[in-house]
Amino acid sequence: MLNRRTITLNVNGEAHELEVEPRHLLADALREGLGLTGTHIGCEHGVCGACTILLDGESIRSCLLLAVQAEGHEITTVEGLGDSNHLNFLQQKFREHHALQCGFCTPGMLMTATELLNQRTSLTERDIRDALSGNLCRCTGYDHIIAAISEAIAETSGAGP
Amino acid sequence: MTFEVMRPKYVGARVQRKEDPRLLSGSGRYAADVQPTRALHVAILRSDYAHALIRSINLDLARAMPGVIDVIDGEALASELKPLYATSRMPGYKPTALWPLARDRVRYVGEPVVAVVATDRYLAEDARAAIQIEYAALPAVTDANLSLTAQSDFLHPEHGSNLLVSRNFSRGNIEQAISEAFRVVSGQYRFTRTTPVAIEPRAYTAEWDRRLARLTLHSATQAPGIIRDALAEVLELNGPSIRVLAADVGGGFGGKVSLYPEEVIVCFLAQKLTRSVKYVSDRQEDLISTTQAFDQTVKAEMALDSSGRILGIRASILGDAGAYSIYPWTAALEPMQIAGFLPGPYQVPSYEADVQVVATNKTPSGPYRGVGRPGACFILERLIDKAAKEFGIDPLEFRRKNLVQPDQFPYKTGSGIVWDKSGFIECLDLAAEVIDYTTLKDNRDAAKAAGRWFGIGIASYAELTGLGSRMSAAPGMPINTGTESASVEIDATGSVIATFGTASIGQGLETTLAQIVADEIGVRPEDVTIVHGDSAAITHSTGSYASRSTVLAGGAAHKAGKEVREKLLKAAGFLMDCELLELEIEDGVVRQPATNKVLSFKDIGRAVYSEMGRFPLALRQELDLRATSFYDPEFGTTTSATHIATVDIDPETFEVRVLRYVAAEDCGRVINPQIVEGQVQGGVAQGIGVALMEEVIHDPQGQIFTASLVDYLVPSAAEVPSIEAVHLEAFAAGTIGGYRGMGEGGTIGAPAAVANAIADALSHLNIDITELPATPERLFRLVTTANQEKA
Amino acid sequence: MKPPPFEYFRASNPEEAVAALGAHGGNAKLIAGGQSLMPMLNFRLLEPELLIDISKIASLKRIEKGSSGRWVIGAGVRHRDILVSEVLGNSYPILRAAMTHVAHVAIRNRGTIGGSLAHGDPAAEWPMLALLLDAEIEVLGRSGQRMIEAKDFFLGALHTSLSEDEIILAIHLPPAPVAWGFFETARRAGDFALAGAGVLLETQNGKISEARIALLGLGETPIRVYDAEAKLEGENLNSTNRAAAMEAAKAACQPMTDLHASAEFRVHLAGIMTGRSLDAAWGQAIC
Repeated sequence: MLNRRTITLNVNGEAHELEVEPRHLLADALREGLGLTGTHIGCEHGVCGACTILLDGESIRSCLLLAVQAEGHEITTVEGLGDSNHLNFLQQKFREHHALQCGFCTPGMLMTATELLNQRTSLTERDIRDALSGNLCRCTGYDHIIAAISEAIAETSGAGP
Repeated sequence: MTFEVMRPKYVGARVQRKEDPRLLSGSGRYAADVQPTRALHVAILRSDYAHALIRSINLDLARAMPGVIDVIDGEALASELKPLYATSRMPGYKPTALWPLARDRVRYVGEPVVAVVATDRYLAEDARAAIQIEYAALPAVTDANLSLTAQSDFLHPEHGSNLLVSRNFSRGNIEQAISEAFRVVSGQYRFTRTTPVAIEPRAYTAEWDRRLARLTLHSATQAPGIIRDALAEVLELNGPSIRVLAADVGGGFGGKVSLYPEEVIVCFLAQKLTRSVKYVSDRQEDLISTTQAFDQTVKAEMALDSSGRILGIRASILGDAGAYSIYPWTAALEPMQIAGFLPGPYQVPSYEADVQVVATNKTPSGPYRGVGRPGACFILERLIDKAAKEFGIDPLEFRRKNLVQPDQFPYKTGSGIVWDKSGFIECLDLAAEVIDYTTLKDNRDAAKAAGRWFGIGIASYAELTGLGSRMSAAPGMPINTGTESASVEIDATGSVIATFGTASIGQGLETTLAQIVADEIGVRPEDVTIVHGDSAAITHSTGSYASRSTVLAGGAAHKAGKEVREKLLKAAGFLMDCELLELEIEDGVVRQPATNKVLSFKDIGRAVYSEMGRFPLALRQELDLRATSFYDPEFGTTTSATHIATVDIDPETFEVRVLRYVAAEDCGRVINPQIVEGQVQGGVAQGIGVALMEEVIHDPQGQIFTASLVDYLVPSAAEVPSIEAVHLEAFAAGTIGGYRGMGEGGTIGAPAAVANAIADALSHLNIDITELPATPERLFRLVTTANQEKA
Repeated sequence: MKPPPFEYFRASNPEEAVAALGAHGGNAKLIAGGQSLMPMLNFRLLEPELLIDISKIASLKRIEKGSSGRWVIGAGVRHRDILVSEVLGNSYPILRAAMTHVAHVAIRNRGTIGGSLAHGDPAAEWPMLALLLDAEIEVLGRSGQRMIEAKDFFLGALHTSLSEDEIILAIHLPPAPVAWGFFETARRAGDFALAGAGVLLETQNGKISEARIALLGLGETPIRVYDAEAKLEGENLNSTNRAAAMEAAKAACQPMTDLHASAEFRVHLAGIMTGRSLDAAWGQAIC
């Protein structure tokens, strides 16, 4: 029953070996196995977006991916952005715009926004709202999050908002 | 003693939040993030019957499963601890026994029945699947009306009925008001059941300290102090044996402010097994077992004289409490608040409200952001709009005429609540100005003429915040949380530390309280360390709820901060050999401008604590750099607001889009405009959810259909409009610092404003919105019926 | 909410996957993106003995032009890949429009066409698109390879004509009319639709020469409204035949009542979505 196996996960540029069962969700492997508790679990059915991470640069739900499936991919979690003493550009925008309150949805928001930002195309407010519609926030009413991301995109895409 | 800081540097400024760097970098510590060594994991088997007797429980197979350490049921717990009751001084109120695991009988789908402890959560869930329970189903009651008239199969047979609360409020002569009225408008309103849905599901990690044989409960709670006190009671522990810590909490909104069975269970198991024990609820469990909200039916009528002035309001309120009267708020909380706040910010000479609260086979209901006031506001503001329409008066003018006027404060409402001076009319005017009401009405008329279903909705309300000791957060509740303390100190390194009994669930209290302390003492907010959310940090810890923290803790912070500043100056004056009045403090440095002599806090801290010989003996006896102060605002203070929303309804798909939203609020002196704006926007977004999509749905047998986020819908960024929050401070609040609470207001006004806008958009069909959420399905039915009646 | 225990096998080609499926006789499940399967596992609605991971099989990720103008899209191609595919965007512009309605970005980044077809959710976009585009679904089983027409593929809600040992290799799209209309209405952005309709129109000399109408979320399977299609041919779109098509769609659908909408409301929406999609497609066809 306990068919455990050792896998290697590449997380934030580092290779980690850990022992998992095939059924272990990537979110749990990151949190329990590697102690990377910045990736939060909010629903385990792919709706809330709190567990969003980047897999090879693309946003995905880590509650809907088995840890064993993540082998061979580059995983980026919120811990791979700036740390608390060195917030990255996007994290700073979130802080400046008060784009977080309780902070629980924030790592997922940041990862979704990181993917958007990396596309380096200008987006309307409507585009950003649609792109974020898979990340639920219960505190902010979203305005400040949209403002932070809009400004980050405007300043990096070379185009106006 | 006056508490106006002469030149506030930080209070009122958009100071960036102190909590953000950790939360933005994934370095927060939520209860589920705590990973004690060799922690055990709990899975809870919950009832899948709404009402049944437990015939037998067989745990043998589960106990034999891999990784299983222990499996306990209600009987095992009952022999070791006592139940809790949410008591109240309210006459006729009937409390219900609260056991952490069901004994003999289950009363709602989701009620905890068995707890499985295993070495990891996966294995615990495997073992859970092997538990065998035999139930004997009982008739379930899910309709409050049926519960009220039921003659048998009571949820709590010892009470002989399902009625838990029955109360009547009366003021003036409502019979006369109605019989003499020029017009009476009325309606029956249904405020359906919702659930808070914090994005962090509830989580509890009981960390066992082997050395000290003590427990620390890391809890996703808004009220670590209340929980600590309750756990000490249930588990028969003294204070130091149990500490409740709420470091970072992923949203609460009322859903994390009651005592939960799982908090008792993990603590009990950690003690029993002398191991750390962790329980993290999954979303399904959260949706069926976190306290739910609303679920009231209200019949209300409003009497008006010939000029359109309100003569009186009469209401009968039937509340559905769910299965239990929860600790400590009781089943009376929501429905009684509706009765309390139904007269709203208007002049209502006569008032009568009848409140009945019944038990049903649904999840227990509890506080949710706004508590009772979203429902009260929805009902009242619908009646106001209906009355305005009857009299052919513009709804804005109708409100202006009936609101409590500036010269009428303090105003005692029909329910006995006293409004202190607050900007009722000023908020109305400001909202109208910001949204350009006159132009908006023209646009609406043009849009309607062109066939669009476009509407404008207004909602005005007032709430009591920062409740002091003379007002209870819940009716008759024995726990009085009307005071809050602040302990401020400068330590031997010159650092400023301020400790509070509150907790932060996202409101940025670490920042706002630091701003206050920083101004009082003369340091930068980033140099003030705020400690709270920890029952062990302070003699009496409470928590954050009822829009109280900033008013109460902020007031105490002013007092304690001022006292520490005086002590600091005394020490500095002696060290610098000068008069206190000659000294200034800025950014952690004491300066004598005349001589340009300076002493840093570090210098003073070292002198006071480590070089005490520098002070004369008399001064040494009394000199420390700390102060603890309490603040009790006694009654609380009034926060008022007007919201205006516009909506567009697709006449074919019945989708409602909220296009614009303006909220004008008098929340007193603003400590941090950005934080206040965020609170309002977040509250409004939740209120829009209530208005348009959020609804807990049960079938008649009590099965809950909305047990996933696919079926319980909360608004995403795509459904929420940009929300314009504007503030005014019409009159200085009587509280220390002039603060009024504002954490809940957005949720209070939004359901009413959106409902009124929808009714306005459908005015050509004369449709009343009496039930929320206004889903496409409900609107389809209303419009179809209206069209049939027309034809 | 954690998945039940299962074994895991990573297949390196379709044949391995078929062999593993066959060996477990119905107790194995394929996983690619897992965006439908994983929630079911997390809720423990399924308890397979074995999960066969086909997400790393390169041959399932092709997008290529086949014979007689057909496009062949591998089962492992993700919704996201369709959104960014220029060649498919040119030949079947409706695909790109429909993909923006598939859940959210992170789901589209993982979810695959094959997964969506095999899951057979009548409210999902791919089953309806397959039916609308007269697609053929290429599958491989122990008894070999076969092609299944979309109209024969969807048998009921979450029920397809795939055998226990079969894996979808690709979806084959024959040339189709380019002018399109696609509308769906959902409670929130990205939610499963309460109702939706897709329309394709071909015109010759200003008249409709070919019309296709398909519905989603309105029955146990996606639905083609063949009656209405035939009646539109040879005509301009006008208020009479538009209304007739809407009525035909309403008559063709057999929706269920659930939490989010009643059957009656969904029938109403079937007409509305059909009308709007017809308008959009006609607008494109004649411009």
